[in-house]
Amino acid sequence: MAKLNPLLLALGIPVAVIGFVAVVLLSRQGGKFADLPPFSPETYRKDWATLQGNAYVLACQVDRQLAFTEGQARILAVKPVDTSRGAGTLPVRVPASIVANFESGQRYNLKLRVRRDILEVEDLESF
Amino acid sequence: MRLPALALAAALLGLAPTARLGAQGAVGQPGAAVTGGGGGDYRSSTTEAMGDRLFDVNSDSIDMENGSMQWKGRTFNLGNSRMMRARFERYLAAPAPAQDSRRYLDVLQRIESLLAPNAINERTWAPNQQAAFDLLFEAARYEQDAENSLTLASQIRKVWEMRVEFRNMGVNHNQLEALRKRQEGVVINRQEQQELANDQRSAQSAKKEKGGALVKSTAGSAEAAARAKDEQKTQAEIVANQARMTALALQAQVEFQSQIVQHLLARRYRHCIIACAFYRVMFRSQNQNVRVGAKEVKEFFPISDYVPTLESLDGLCREAIKDVDTGLRTTEDLMRQGELYGAFERLQETYFLGEHEPSIQSFDPAKKRQLLELWRDLRELQRVGDERDLANVDQYLNQVAARARDFPAAAVRSKVEAARAASNMQILAAQQAAVSGDSAKAEAALERAGKIWPLNPAIRDFASKAIARQDVLAQKVPEFDQLHGDGKWRDIFNRRDEFAVALIQDKDRLPKLKAVVTRVGEIEAIILQASSLAAQGNPYLAWDLLQRAQAIDPNDIVLARTRSEIAPLVAEYARLLALAERMEKDGHDAAALTAWMSAQELNPVSEICGAAVRRLAARVASSGAPAPAPGRDPGALEVPEPPPANR
Repeated sequence: MAKLNPLLLALGIPVAVIGFVAVVLLSRQGGKFADLPPFSPETYRKDWATLQGNAYVLACQVDRQLAFTEGQARILAVKPVDTSRGAGTLPVRVPASIVANFESGQRYNLKLRVRRDILEVEDLESF
Repeated sequence: MRLPALALAAALLGLAPTARLGAQGAVGQPGAAVTGGGGGDYRSSTTEAMGDRLFDVNSDSIDMENGSMQWKGRTFNLGNSRMMRARFERYLAAPAPAQDSRRYLDVLQRIESLLAPNAINERTWAPNQQAAFDLLFEAARYEQDAENSLTLASQIRKVWEMRVEFRNMGVNHNQLEALRKRQEGVVINRQEQQELANDQRSAQSAKKEKGGALVKSTAGSAEAAARAKDEQKTQAEIVANQARMTALALQAQVEFQSQIVQHLLARRYRHCIIACAFYRVMFRSQNQNVRVGAKEVKEFFPISDYVPTLESLDGLCREAIKDVDTGLRTTEDLMRQGELYGAFERLQETYFLGEHEPSIQSFDPAKKRQLLELWRDLRELQRVGDERDLANVDQYLNQVAARARDFPAAAVRSKVEAARAASNMQILAAQQAAVSGDSAKAEAALERAGKIWPLNPAIRDFASKAIARQDVLAQKVPEFDQLHGDGKWRDIFNRRDEFAVALIQDKDRLPKLKAVVTRVGEIEAIILQASSLAAQGNPYLAWDLLQRAQAIDPNDIVLARTRSEIAPLVAEYARLLALAERMEKDGHDAAALTAWMSAQELNPVSEICGAAVRRLAARVASSGAPAPAPGRDPGALEVPEPPPANR
C-alpha cells in the first residue's frame, strides 16, 4: 500500500474539517425554512396586525410549556435565538397535529404563521 | 283648748271633795279667814317619782317637717314648719327687749315667793294672795310678759268672785236649812196636837157610852198638811241650792285649770308655775288633780298610767326653765369655741323649748346676728340642696364652713360629689345608648341623670347635641344620597364617621355606607401596602397591588395619585400591563399573552402576570382556528415590510 504524502495529510485534514464545518453551518443557516423570512418579535409586539397571514421562520429555544389542551394544541414559551429583531419570550401555539417532545432548552426552527394575533407553528425542525 | 264639757261635768259631779268644798263654806277671799288646810299642800312624792320616768327619755329634737318639738319625751306642737322657721329667724333678727329682763324676773319671783308653801299660813293666806295678785299687774307692764299676767289676774279675780257668790249661796243655804227645821218643828207640833185631841175625844166618848166606838176628829188636819207642804218646798230649795253651789265650785276649778294647761302648752312656764301656786292657795288640797284638759295633758305625757297633777306640771315647767338656761350656756360656750353650727343647733332647740323665757329673749343680739348670718347661709344651702343645684352647693358650703368650723362640710361635699358623678355617669350611659340607636334607654338614663342633678350642665349639652344631631341628620341624608349616586366612594369614606352617626338608624342607607367603607377601606389597605413595598424597592409588586386596587375602583383619586407616584419606577412594566389588559379586553388573547409574558420577565414573581399567563395560555390553546380580527381584513392589510435581512 502506497504511503500517503504526509504533507498532503497535514494540509488535507484541516481543509476537510473546515469544509465539513462550512457545509454544516450552511445547512443550518437556512434549513428547510430557508426561504421564509425571519420572524421579528419586535414587529409582532409593536403591531401584530400587520403580520397577519404571514409565515415566518423563528429560530428559538423552548423555555417552558404554558398550556396544553388535549387534541387541540399546546402553548410554548420560546426565546428567539437571535435577539437582533427583538428579545423576550414569545408564546407559540403548537397544534396537536405536530407531534414532538418539547422540553426546555431544545432549539427549533419554527415555521410560524401569524393567524390573527396567534403565532401558529405550522412546521418545525430542531437544530 | 277643747274641753269635753259634758263628760267632764258628769265626772266632777260624782266627786265628794267638791261637795264638801261647798258644804264647808271654806272658800274665802283675800282678807277672809282660812278654815281648814285649804292653803295648799305642797308636799309631794309625785314629782320626784315621776321625774325619772318623765325626764329620762330621748334627747331633744325638732321636727321641722311636722312643726313639732320633742323634749324629753313630750311633744310640743309649734305650728307648721314655715311658721317655725319664720319665728326663729325673726327671733334671731330681733333687737334686745327694751326693758330689763332681770326686773321682770324679779317680779315673777316675788309672786312665787308670796305664794310659796312656806310663806302661806292662816295669817298670810289672804294678804299674800292679794300682794301676788297686785304684782301680776306690774309684771304685765313688761313687753316679755305679753300681758299673760293680766289674763291670769282676770282668772284669779273671777275665782274670787265665784267664791263670794259661793259664800252667799252658803248663807242662803243655812237660812233655808233653819227655815226648814222650823217648818219641820211646826209640822211635828201640829201633828202631835192633833193626835192629842183625838186621844181626848176618844176618852170622853168611852165615858159617855161604855163600849162605844172610837171617835176621831179631823180638825187641824188641813193646817198640818199645809205646814208639811211648806217644809217640803224648803227642802227642795235646799237641794237646788246645793246643786248650784257644786256647779259654781266646779266652774271655778275648771276655768283655772284650763288656764294652767294653756300656759304650759304655750310654753309660758313661769306663768304656769304662778298659776299652779295660786291654784294651790285658792283651792283645797283635795282638788289638786288636773281634771281639765286631761286628754291634752296625757298626750303631752306619753305614759299610759299618768295622772296629771299640779305638781307634775309645776315640775315640768321648772325642768324646762332649767333646760333653757343650760341650753343658752351651752350655746354661748360653743360660740366662744367657734363652733357656730353646734351653737346654732343648740340655740334653735332652746328657743323652741322656751321661746318666751326672759333669758331667751334677752340673749345677746350680736351673737344672734352672727347666728342669723349662718342661718341664712344654711337656709340657702338647704335650698340649693332641695333644688339639687349641685353646681352652687360648693359656694354656700364654703360660706357655711368658713363661718362654722364644726359644720360637717366634708360629708356634704362627699355626697354632692357622689351625686354629680352619678348624674354624669347616667349622661354618659345616655350618650352611649343614643349612639347605638337605643332611644328608650337613652331617655331613661337621661331621666335618671336629671333626677339626681336637674341642673347638670351636661344635660343641657346633651340636649343641644341631640338637637344638633337632628339637624345634621336632616343634612347628611341627602348629601349621602348625592355622593352615592355619583359614585364618589372616596368622599363618602372620608366622611364615614359623620355619615355613620347620621345613618345609624337608616336601615336602607346603612348597608350602602358599610359597603362603601369596606370597599374603599380595602383600597386604602392596598395603597398602604403598595407604598410600603415601593419604599422597600419593590415597585413592581407595589404596582401589582395597585392593579388589584384599580380593579376595585378605577376612579379612586388616592389610588390614582399613588399610581402616578409609582408609575415612573415601573414605566415599561406598567405599559405592558396596560397593553395586555387592553388586548385581552379586545379579545386578542395571544397578543395579550405576549404582553403579559413580557411583563412577567420584568417581574417574575408577579402573581397577576402568572395568573394572566396561565389563563390566556389555556384559552389560546383551546381556541380553534382563530377568526379574522374584527374590523381588520387580513386581505386588506398592507403587505408587511420584510424583516431586515441582517442575518
